[in-house]
Order: sequence, then C-alpha cells, then structure tokens
Amino acid sequence: MTHLSPLLLLLLASSWTPALQPDNCWLLKQHDRQREAVTCFKELLSSNDAANRAEGYWGLQDWDRSNEQFRLAVQTSASAAEAKVRWGMLLHERFNNKEAADLFREALAMDPSNADAYIGLALISMENFDGNAMAYVNKVLSLEPNNVKAHELAASLALDNDEPRQAAAQADKAIALDHDAVDAMAVRAALEVVSDRSPDAWINQIRTINPHYGRTYSEIAHHLELRYRHEDAATYYRKAIAAEPALWSAHSSLGIALMRLGEQEEAQKELELSYDNGYRNAATVNSLRLLDSYRNYVTVQDGDTILKLKKTESELLRPYLQAELHTIIATYNRKYAMTLPGPIQLEVYPDHEDFAVRTTGMPGLGALGVTFGEVIAIDSPSARRPGDFNWGATLWHEMSHAYVLFATHDHVSRWFTEGLAVHEEGEHVTEWKNRATPDVLIAIRDKKLLPILQLDRGFVFPQYPSQVTVSYFQAGTICDFIKEEWGESTLLAMIHSYAARHTTSEVIQQVLKTTPENFDQQYLAWIEKHYGPEASQFAHWQQQIKSLLIADQNKEWDTVAHVGPAVIALYPDYVGEGNAYELLAEGYHASQNPASEAAILAAYAQAGGQNPASLKRLAALQESRKDPAAAANTLTRINYIYPVNDPDLHQKLGGLFYQQKKFDESVREYSAALASNPVDKAGVQYQLARSYLATGNRRNAEESVLAALEIAPSYIPAQQLLLELHPSSGK
Amino acid sequence: MKPTSQRRFRQFARSGILLLPIVIPAHLYADTYYVVIAGLGGEPEYAQQFTAAAKELEKTFRASGPNAHTLLLVGDEASSSHVRDTLHSVAVTARPEDDFVLILIGHGSFDDTTYKFNLPGPDISAGEIANLCNGIRARRQLIVDTTSASGGAIPSLRHPGRAIITATKSGTEKNATVFARYWVEALEDPSADTDKSESISALEAFTYATKKTAGFYDSQKRLATEHAVFVDTAGGVPVREPGGGEGTLLSSLTLLRIGSNHPSANTPARSALLQKKEQLEQNIDVLKYQKAAMDPSEYKQQLTTLLLELARTQREIDK
Repeated sequence: MTHLSPLLLLLLASSWTPALQPDNCWLLKQHDRQREAVTCFKELLSSNDAANRAEGYWGLQDWDRSNEQFRLAVQTSASAAEAKVRWGMLLHERFNNKEAADLFREALAMDPSNADAYIGLALISMENFDGNAMAYVNKVLSLEPNNVKAHELAASLALDNDEPRQAAAQADKAIALDHDAVDAMAVRAALEVVSDRSPDAWINQIRTINPHYGRTYSEIAHHLELRYRHEDAATYYRKAIAAEPALWSAHSSLGIALMRLGEQEEAQKELELSYDNGYRNAATVNSLRLLDSYRNYVTVQDGDTILKLKKTESELLRPYLQAELHTIIATYNRKYAMTLPGPIQLEVYPDHEDFAVRTTGMPGLGALGVTFGEVIAIDSPSARRPGDFNWGATLWHEMSHAYVLFATHDHVSRWFTEGLAVHEEGEHVTEWKNRATPDVLIAIRDKKLLPILQLDRGFVFPQYPSQVTVSYFQAGTICDFIKEEWGESTLLAMIHSYAARHTTSEVIQQVLKTTPENFDQQYLAWIEKHYGPEASQFAHWQQQIKSLLIADQNKEWDTVAHVGPAVIALYPDYVGEGNAYELLAEGYHASQNPASEAAILAAYAQAGGQNPASLKRLAALQESRKDPAAAANTLTRINYIYPVNDPDLHQKLGGLFYQQKKFDESVREYSAALASNPVDKAGVQYQLARSYLATGNRRNAEESVLAALEIAPSYIPAQQLLLELHPSSGK
Repeated sequence: MKPTSQRRFRQFARSGILLLPIVIPAHLYADTYYVVIAGLGGEPEYAQQFTAAAKELEKTFRASGPNAHTLLLVGDEASSSHVRDTLHSVAVTARPEDDFVLILIGHGSFDDTTYKFNLPGPDISAGEIANLCNGIRARRQLIVDTTSASGGAIPSLRHPGRAIITATKSGTEKNATVFARYWVEALEDPSADTDKSESISALEAFTYATKKTAGFYDSQKRLATEHAVFVDTAGGVPVREPGGGEGTLLSSLTLLRIGSNHPSANTPARSALLQKKEQLEQNIDVLKYQKAAMDPSEYKQQLTTLLLELARTQREIDK
C-alpha cells in the first residue's frame, strides 16, 4: 500500500487552498496533478514575494521571467541564501551550470550549512563526472541525515560506481523516509534492469504515484549507457517519452543514443524536437550541429565496412582505413572465433570538437576513439598535432571493443574491455605496446594502482587527474600479465565468462582459479618486476633528463653523448617531449656521426617514438645507408601517425616501394600523394603512371600520364611514357 | 659599403660585354638583374636566418647562367645608403629588354600608413623603394617582399610592368614570417617546376612557397599568421591564386632556368620542329581552354592525339 503524506492527502482529497508555498505546487506536479499544479503556480505569480513569483514562472516554464524574479529575490528577500539556491537550481535545469555553481557557493558563503546548496553542487558534479559528487552528498547527509534527495543521489552514484548493494541500501533509506521518493524507486528499477531482471514491480509502484513519470525510464537508460548497452538505453528512452511525451531531455538523450547506433535520421528528428521545444543544452545543440556537418562527409561502403569521412580527406584516408579494417576483422574473427553481425561503421573526424560531441555524456572515455557497438568514432590524424596520435593503434583498440561488447552482449566490466583493447594494440605492432608514461610511473611509485574489483571506478570516477590514464595502463598490463601467466586463450575464456553474466570476482575465480585478492598480489609483484626499478628511479630520471636538456640547449654534444645513454637506461619507455633518444640523435647529427644517429633513432622508433620529423630523419639515414626496405618500413610507420597534408611523404614512400618492385604499394602511395594536393601534380601523376604500368594496369597508366601531360605538355619523361603506351603510333 | 659590391657589379658588366659574341643572342634570353637584401635581424637567430637565406638565393641565381646578374646586401652592407646605391647602379646598367627582381628578406613594420623595411641604421620605406625601382628601365620587374607586414607595402610599390609578391596580405600581419625559407626552397626544388618547362616562373615559386608555408602552420597546428599574396597588374587587387586578370606577368616571368635547357644552334629542320612544337603546345592550350564545353571522351581523344604528336616531335628534336 502506498503511504501518502498528510499534506498531500489534504491536497488531493479536498478543495482546501493552502497558503502559497511553492513546494506544494511542485508536489502536485510530481504526482501528475498537472491542472492543479498549473493553478498553483499561477497563484504564485501574485505573491508579494519575488522568490514565490520566480517559482511560479518556473513551474509555468517561463524561464526568463523566473530568472528576473530570482534576481530580484536575492536582493530583497530575507532568505537570500535559499533564493540563491533555488535560482541556481533553475539555472542548472536550464543548462547554465557555471552560474548555477556560483550561486550555490554564494549561498554557502551566506549559510554554510545549507544542504540544498550542496545538493545543487552534487547534481552538477554528477553531470560532469568530476568525481566530487559523493563528497557533496556526504556533506548533505552530515548536515541532514534524513535528507531524501541526498539518499536518492547517493543511490544513483553508487549504481554509477557499480556498487549495487550500496545503491539499493541508499534507495531504500530514501523510500523509508519518503514513500513517494520516485527517484529512489527509479534507481531500484535500474538495479533490476542492469542485472537483467524485470523492473516491473518498481515501475508499477512509481506509476501509482505518477503514471507519467518519464524520468524513471531515463534513469534506467542512463545506467545502461554507462554499461555500453546503447540499444537497451535507446529502448528505455523511448519508454520515457511514451510515459511523458513532453520530457524533452529524454527526446534529446534518445537522439544521442540513436546517433551512437548509427541511426542518423531518427536521431535528427528527436534532437530537433527537443531543440524546438526549448531543450537546448550543449549536447543537443552540438549534436545537431554535428548532424548538419555530415553534408560535408561522404559515406563509402564495402562488404564489411562503412566509412564516414570528410570529403576533403576521403580520397587520401579511405584506402588506408579500409585496408586496416579488413586486416583487423580477419584477425579478430580468427582470434575471437566469431563474426560481427553487421558491417563496422567508422566515423573519422578532422575536427576534434565534432569527435568530442560523440563522446558527450560518457565519462572517462578515450580521448582518441570511442565505440558504440558497431559504430566507431575516431579523431582523424589531421585533428591532432603530428606525433600525438596513432590512428592504426586506435583502430585496433576500438575494434577490440566492438568484438568484446558483441561477444558479451554488452555485459562486460569496463576495465576488462579497455584492458583487452590496450593489450591488442601491442599484440599487433610491438611499437604500439602499452607504455608507462610519467603519470603511470608516479602512480606505481605511490602505490595508487587499484584493486581489480575497484578498477572500473578509475575510469568513471577518477580520484586524481591522471587516474583515467593510469587505469588504462593498469587494465592493459593486467591483460598482458594474464596472457603471460595463464596464456592468450584465457582472455577469450574470460570474455565467455562475462558473456555468461559473471561478475569480475566470479570471472577471476572461475577462469583464473584464484581469488581477486591473490590476483592483486600476483599482479603487483609482476608490476614491481617490470616497472619497479623505473618507478623507484623516477625522481632521479627527472633530474638527469633536465641536465640533458640543458646540455642540449647549450650544444654540449660531448656531454649529451656521454649522459644520454644512461638517461635512457633509467626510463627506456619514455619517448615523449624532450626524450633522451631525440636529444642524443640531435647530438650525433651535430657531431656528424650518422651511424650513431641512425642507431639511436632506430631505438627511438622501436620504443614507440612517433615524432614524424625524427622518423623521416631515420628513413633518410637508412636510405643513405642503402637500406631502402628499412627506410620504407620507417616511413610506413608515419602513415599510421600523420599521413595527411604531406604529399612529400607519400611521394618518397612511393619511390622506395617502386625501387623494391612493390608496385601495388607504390600505386597506393603515389595516389595518396596526389590526394594530398602536391605542388608538383604532373610529377606525381607521372610516377603514378609508371607504377600502374609496372602492375600491368595500362589503362590507369594512360589516364595518369595524360593527366601529367595535361598539366605539363612539355614534360619529357611523361611524353616518353605516353609513347611507350602507344608503341604503334607514328613510327 | 664593401668595395667589392660595386666592383663585383662592374665585373659583371665587363664580363657581359666580353661574353656577348659567344652567348646566345640577346633576343632569346634577356638578362635578369637580381638584388637580394637581408635586412636587420634584431636577434642573432633571425640575423643568421636572413643572411643564410639571402646567400642561398645569391648562390642559386649565380649558378643559373651568364644572363643572371646578382647583387647581394647582407649584414652591415644592407644599409639604406647601400640599397640606394645598388638600385641606382642597376638603373644605370639594365636595358629595357631585361628583367629586374628585388627580394627583401627580414622584418618589416607598418604603422597603418607606411611600410618600412628594417635595415641597420635608418629603415627604408616602401615609397622610397618604389621610387628607386621606378628608375630601373627593365621590361618587367618583380619585387618579392618576404617580411612581416609586407602587405602594407603593396600600395606604394604598384607600377605598370611590376609584379609584387608579399608574404603577408596586409600590414597588420606583423609576426615574423616563414615565407622566405620556402621561397628559397622553391628555387632549389625541381618539383616547383610544375609545368616541367625546365624553368621556375615567379608564379610557380609563389605557389610552392605559399603551399609550404601553409603546411608549416598545419604541421604545428598553429593558426597561420601570414598569408602571401601577389598582384601583377597596376590597378589589380592582391590575390592568393591566379585569376581575375592577375597572374599573367608572374607566370611569364622566369626566375630561374633549371635542367639542361640550353638552347643550341638551329638548323632549318630543327627550327621547323621547334615551330611545330610551339604550335602543338598552343593547340593544347586552346583545347584545354575548351575542355569544360566538350564531351569528356572527345576531349580525351583530341588531347591524346595532340600529346602524342608533341611527344614524337620532341623525340625528333632530341635526336
């Protein structure tokens, strides 16, 4: 039986008109007494209290007027702190979190024990996934242990954090305090859904209070999204809309969910609907802008792949991306013993802001790529500074997610799918292996690695700025460790175990035959063995690298040559800015020691160095040492790093391949050079023509040589090639 | 002023007279006078860069053949008085059928009204540079101002028969430029010869340098703070690409001859072949002009025919 508060009973049962109190109006609204609620809000408009008038306008969705009245209220009201808090809540609701947070803080400055202000700050933190929300909630509970809203938020946060028992406990506390705590009931319903149980009992309970409470389903959808269950999330957003058609936030969220599923048309409709009805938060606006920008994109499909590429880049990138995707699909089909149900859709964004729109609302996602089932979005190499990004490694990473999510029906722990993806990068190309960045070494040194059962949290609720990065590293090395100790096939067995709906604890016990605690001990011992010395010497390395940098700046090449190797030995994985490899190379170059320069640059490349300028220098040295194959391999690495806006790279590589009689590769590279808008188009067309001819493709050879001569009719080598293609003409 | 500059110039004049009987007839290739000036660097790094670029250009022009007369002013030599003297001397020596090229490397300044090229000692204004160049009777002139704020010089430098290239589109682009380094590179990289004529025209050099400059900023993921432009008609608007009447003078002005394009003695048969080659090239130009209005396969067929004929003719010429 549902218990209703006496006040509510009075409101519902009689025609008694209470004193003007905004809470009453909101209560009526919460109980789906819309007409009474509107009447109540309208009555507030004639109040002498600006704060009440503000609430009235708010309830009638006249936000501008509400804003004006709140502005007045904070100046004139005796309870300005409360007015600030309510104003902040309005601004939070209307997508202005910055000013909302300012108001909450101002309220706290006036009234440090204002629990509602902390609630406001918690709501903002939850949206931002900044890791501070629980601290604010705890503050509220320390001030008001029976604060229902705080318990509701604690429940939702616990479920975000994959703590179902805590989530249930907090939700139950809220319900015990307030039998109409619908948001707590929504969390209970979400708990059932994420555990693949029916939420009906809870939903029915909510419906007795408010049959049109769409937020129930939105709450469920939110928790499904965090678990990569985007199709299920979309289903629940639809339910939210069915229950409450004017819940524009749900329309927007549905639109974004549909974009993740590659259903662009319907996504656009939902987003436009929410926008047209005043729901214009950043995610809605940015998503619509992104959809608009798709007119500048081209979609290219072959059997297994659908590529969405910006028109300006598609001719250049398509061959590389398609070829790599086919290799990945063949590899993973074999490795995971499965085939994806449909083609992979890959979106490649030259503007990082567009890529960021695709990851909106998803905390702790990679900054380079994201996977939504069979839809993958990555930055284009042109979105990044040369050397910052490796699209090949990113693609292997994201495709691993596609397979694992499909294999486990989206029921997989965050740490495992990320760890396996990181592990796969290094399996394909050794230079792409998981490297310990300085943040990671510091975390190891300071013993900040998480127990395996808590590792998911490191991705979603980072407790320090670099924890997401450290968590990726940790997850990846866990998979490396598992492969080393138990064998590669164990990782596949773990996938199957997750697919059977086992928890991480169960997976470890059943597949690895150990306890999570023992596993943690073994793993940490492995970490100590592999990274302990570097971690413990990190401070020393920092000093040494500074000295090396100073010697380099002063052009003290003898010092650089003397100190450099020892600095590398302290931390061989470091290939970031100011690394010892490149400083040594500079020194050897200045000292005219090409053999040493080549050797150290080769070591840099092998360690995973990605600076295109250094790799080009290595290739030049390799070529001068009569090793075109090595030079071609080195330049091919750059294709995975920064293949754009560099016709010279492709022309050079094309020439090296031609020299080695790898004519198909030569065609690919000269085509890429052409697509990169070279200065010397005629020259590139001619070289492409030669390469086509060498592959036996006379038709394309003729097209290319004609193109060369159309630009430069007097181009003698091209003329000669044309005559070669027409041997019978005019002898 | 170092005495050698004037002496050097007089040596050229004398050697030009001495060489005349055995060199190609003047109507085939006129002389080109190059004046390259590296202005005040301010900081040692810039001074070194400017001087190095200027010397590279001098080296390139000197190596291009006997028709090239190069004058270089760097370091303390590059004072405003030496600049005046050098340009006066070119004015005295250059003939009306010759070409004149002035290249400025360094820093420029613009105060919303006047552009100045920074030199050791007093700077020199665009107006004064223009007056000095106006006194040179060359058939065609090219001024390449690779400095910051160089776009501010355009209004003062305009003159009939003179093409102007500036590293910046206006005087308000005041950051140090990288255009100069790619201008130098354009004259050393055969790929700048995009029409494979074995020579690099001013337009080809501009196109090369502009693309490379843009590539530099892209590779650094920096907003470009310089946008090179040119204008080669007296009343024209500075542009970034040929079109709208701009580019004809630039494309016809050969900055550098490369390859083995040394004219040799012509027999009647060879002259006939050269004439045929020229005619075919003209026919190809006409065909390309008509391309948009033609059926693509018809265009391709006609182009192929003409190109084959041209190729065979060239083969005969090369025999």
